[in-house]
Amino acid sequence: MKGNQFSVKIYETMIESIEDEVEFISFFDTNYELFKDHLISIKGEISRDMKDYLSDKSLYYIQNTNIPKSRSKKEIKDTIEAEQIKSEQNQKDIEDELAKLSHRLQNNLKVLDTIVRSGQELKIDGDLLLLNRVNSGATIETSGNLIITQVVEGDIRCNGGFLMVNASQKANIIFNGIVVENEKLEDRLNRIELKNHRLVITPVLKKEINWA
Amino acid sequence: MGVVIAVISGKGGVGKTTASANIGLGIAQNDKKCVVVDFDIGQRNLDMILGLENRVVYDLVQVMDKEASLRQALIRSKANPNMFFLAASQTKDKSVLESSKVQKLINNLKKEFDFVILDSPAGIESGYEHTIEFADVAVVVVNPEVSSIRDADRAIGILDSKSQKVKEGHDVGKYLIINRIIPKMVQSGEMLRSEDILDILSIPLIGKVPEDKGVIDASNQGKPIILNKNSGAGQAYQRIANRLCGQDIPIYDIEADEKGLFSKLAGMFH
Repeated sequence: MKGNQFSVKIYETMIESIEDEVEFISFFDTNYELFKDHLISIKGEISRDMKDYLSDKSLYYIQNTNIPKSRSKKEIKDTIEAEQIKSEQNQKDIEDELAKLSHRLQNNLKVLDTIVRSGQELKIDGDLLLLNRVNSGATIETSGNLIITQVVEGDIRCNGGFLMVNASQKANIIFNGIVVENEKLEDRLNRIELKNHRLVITPVLKKEINWA
Repeated sequence: MGVVIAVISGKGGVGKTTASANIGLGIAQNDKKCVVVDFDIGQRNLDMILGLENRVVYDLVQVMDKEASLRQALIRSKANPNMFFLAASQTKDKSVLESSKVQKLINNLKKEFDFVILDSPAGIESGYEHTIEFADVAVVVVNPEVSSIRDADRAIGILDSKSQKVKEGHDVGKYLIINRIIPKMVQSGEMLRSEDILDILSIPLIGKVPEDKGVIDASNQGKPIILNKNSGAGQAYQRIANRLCGQDIPIYDIEADEKGLFSKLAGMFH
């Protein structure tokens, strides 16, 4: 088999109405010399007059055909870059997911030493160890365990396995949806947890061992 | 460049304006050039407390809108030539303030004065935010009662998140004034102790001011209490002003003071 490769110049046009046809014919009349060697690609339906005109002028045409067009260098480069970015993003997503998972395993413990003032809201996904005050009008919400070593006068919402707080007259403490009554807290660090769906409060005893 | 001090409280009626006027005068008595600016647009009071209500021609909104120059709007205090006053607009409301205009005004004042004292409006909305936005230091005024302390706590929280200095990564200085302390009530346990207030708010104390009946009359007369050398509140404000000017004066334990005074009096009669 013998073959030749050559380029053809194509003039592509869109014909939607009779006006487009009139415009096409006048355009070709004026620019005939320029376009006479072109293959004409027409998108849309054409009338008999148009067909007659094209054959009169012995212009070759194809109708509603998708012609493979060569892409510019820039376009190709862009596509490659876009794909690269996408694969990098995928890699990052996977890494993030892994990091999250490992955090979840450690229960994502956060240690904070900032005073939580009235009107401030601290929402923590995971465990929290807070070494400073929670003032009246502040809110702390954790999905995990919560330990507050200082005075608590704000709203506490703990949804973890246990909660440790000091006794407080003013605090509004809700542990896994159950209101913790302030009177039940002893004047030291209290450990609050659920056992058999019942709230159990154990004061952390400061028992001194007598060795003698 | 001068230091910009915002006087804030959160709650209304705790003595912000009185504190601003007295601290301003106290600083002026330290031979520092000082301007007190009333930022309570629409509810101006400072002019009355300073006894300058009949001298107000232009206000700070007109200066910001370039309807008047700063020089035209500044009013010199009758009590001390080092002290100036810039009035709030009484006809407009807080919504007229714009960050860029406030910043420009404050920068201009900083060039002219050693201390720029901004008397903040009560509450925590836009007027308050504009007052603290460009302040270097905040003086928080509280009364020894729970509502005042919670509101101050909220105001400090907003200060820590909205101040320009904090946004630039610096700390904004915060100092506490406990105002209207009644020593007898503190001694009998009816009034919150300063130590407890400091525990809750966790900012350094710059002064304790006793309740003083003279303050009301002083405000009505337009002669700030600091001008009365015999007044306990006046002396307290002078100490606060001196501390702000950099003098190292230990905090005076006014709660114990009255007891001392009574035992002294008792001693005299014996």
